Amino acid sequence: MLKCGMSGSQVKVFGKAIQALSRVSDELWLDPSEKGLALRAVNSCRSAYGCILFSPVFFQHYQWSASVKMNKNKTSNLNCKLAMKSVLPIFRCLNSLERNVEKCKIFTSSDKCKVVFQFFCRHGIKRTHNVCFQESQPLQVLFEKSMCANTLTIHPRVLAEAVVLFTSNQEELTLAVTPLNVCFKSSNEESMDLTSAVYSEIVVGPDEFDFFQIGVDTEITFCFKELKGMLMFSEAIHAPISIHFDFPGKPMALSIDDMLLEANFILATLADEQSRASSPQSLCISQKQKRSDLMHADSKAINNISSKALESIHRRAAPKRLYPEENLTDISALENAGSPIMKMANGDITEVPESGVTKNLEEGSGPPYLRKFSCIFFGAVSSHQQEHLNPFESLATASDCEEDVNNSSLPSF
Amino acid sequence: MKFRAKIVDTACLNHFTRVSNMIAKLAKTCSLRISPDKLNFILSDKVASGGVSMWCELEQENFFSEFQMEGVSAENNEIYLELTSENLSRALKTAQNARTLKIKLTNKHFPCLTVSIELLSASNSSRIVTHDIPIKVIPRKLWRDLQEPTIPAAEVSIYLPLLKTMRSVVEKMKNISNHLIIEANLNGQLNLKIETELVCVTTHFKDLGNPPLDSSQNRDPEQMAEVHIDIRKLQQFLAGQQVNPTKAICNVSDKMVHFDLLHEDVSLQYFISALS
Repeated sequence: MLKCGMSGSQVKVFGKAIQALSRVSDELWLDPSEKGLALRAVNSCRSAYGCILFSPVFFQHYQWSASVKMNKNKTSNLNCKLAMKSVLPIFRCLNSLERNVEKCKIFTSSDKCKVVFQFFCRHGIKRTHNVCFQESQPLQVLFEKSMCANTLTIHPRVLAEAVVLFTSNQEELTLAVTPLNVCFKSSNEESMDLTSAVYSEIVVGPDEFDFFQIGVDTEITFCFKELKGMLMFSEAIHAPISIHFDFPGKPMALSIDDMLLEANFILATLADEQSRASSPQSLCISQKQKRSDLMHADSKAINNISSKALESIHRRAAPKRLYPEENLTDISALENAGSPIMKMANGDITEVPESGVTKNLEEGSGPPYLRKFSCIFFGAVSSHQQEHLNPFESLATASDCEEDVNNSSLPSF
Repeated sequence: MKFRAKIVDTACLNHFTRVSNMIAKLAKTCSLRISPDKLNFILSDKVASGGVSMWCELEQENFFSEFQMEGVSAENNEIYLELTSENLSRALKTAQNARTLKIKLTNKHFPCLTVSIELLSASNSSRIVTHDIPIKVIPRKLWRDLQEPTIPAAEVSIYLPLLKTMRSVVEKMKNISNHLIIEANLNGQLNLKIETELVCVTTHFKDLGNPPLDSSQNRDPEQMAEVHIDIRKLQQFLAGQQVNPTKAICNVSDKMVHFDLLHEDVSLQYFISALS
């Protein structure tokens, strides 16, 4: 049960948060807790996750109470998932909202699966939006930012000036760092005609960053769209963005830490196959084969491949218990072994270097949040780059694509 | 084949950016000819009727502080390249307030025009921006299609009115019909006319003045020369003229209309052939 209120200028920030998350996904979770109201989104191929947490002091008033289920003595959360299509238009024209709205109230009516957005505007006008939500347990991705070797904090203006160089039809951006400088560049394209995109790069010195810590020279490639979403948000609230990252393949985090809110976008990065120690060649080949197999597989075949790993993608209808207390050591093990989790999902690939992690998944009895976290890595491994396929398409995505969901009996996410 | 050039003056850089923006609006793909003293942007449309061609010329020493080129061979000391004009204008757009701009021909995986910009940021540190624009080198056998067009004998030559006014008139007329008639006479009168079954709209411009023309000796000053063209081609041409030119002349003959513009020191010739 949620009940909160904000002023006109707070509505603008809230609306900007929703707009930023709309770059990640078409669906939004409203996840209130005692820590505040979190807005979460995950994209369909699980390669990007965004979470913006508004602390209770952000609001004029904030009330949240967990409802107690009768059959269990555990509390369950709101489990509210909204369609971006329904929420985004409510927060359109943020500048005029800021001017006209005196107060905005958001509350839920637990018996009717509805979220109500009420705007009390000037001249006594009251606007009410009732948005139905789907009961769905929010995804939480736990990412230990302090464990990343590289951290950059930059003012959004500087980042925006760098990013404006790249055309909007660039899907990916590469960030290359050394202790001497930082370079943003377009990802490598290998087509050879006139219509191929211009390759652009900008090299920025360390003194342009508020915080510059490079532990390891690295080059990571990630999706541009989500970066732009986060950048837009950070420009709106005039807060610096921190980028936490490591080696290619390991997810990167874009975060804003303000007194009133905390925003985190976790993005998968392209795994650099040459840099992996384990025989990359055979992995690539078998991935290619597996890709074509999976695309045509029916649900039964997918289930056969690795039921344990895929179970984590399937959302069970009954609400599950969330594990708010994270077990950090397990997560870091998962983080360091990004690729092996992917191989697990594939099932048929026999070589798995990090047996420690494999065991967790194979047992299938690990806590649900660990299995959820592995979903992010499904998207992290690229298809062979020369194929120009979307690198964030994971092998297991086929089961979650909308067409497959409609055709098969898999419950939707 | 070698080419490297450098601009250090902000005014020259802005002017070059404006020229490049204009070209991007006039032609999606165009040819660039590099010779020891000039740069030419060329569009040569082979379409028989209603087609468009363009010849834009600028003197390199008005823009570049350094300019070195080596053509295909000693006798043919020229370079002809084909590129997507928008790529160049977009790259130049990022060079506002740049300290220096360098352009050179490179071959990284494929032939490119590399634009290298040194920007001065607020915190006084410099940022280096590089754009590799893919290009195609045009073989020598195709060069003859890209030569300076001979100016055809015009029946009437007249100075154009304010291009912004012409543009808004043409944009409104486009909604009614695609077939535009341009009429001009040696008395400084220019008409833009569209005719449909239901309506006929004419916009009259007067007292425009006429530049001297040899063949005008025997011609009745009141007699109108007319040409029929596709209005969209004219609209595209006018849309490319963001800044009012230093000089704008229109030459009308029944086979085509020829626009001769001068933007400070950059000359632009634009030809729209008549509809058959």
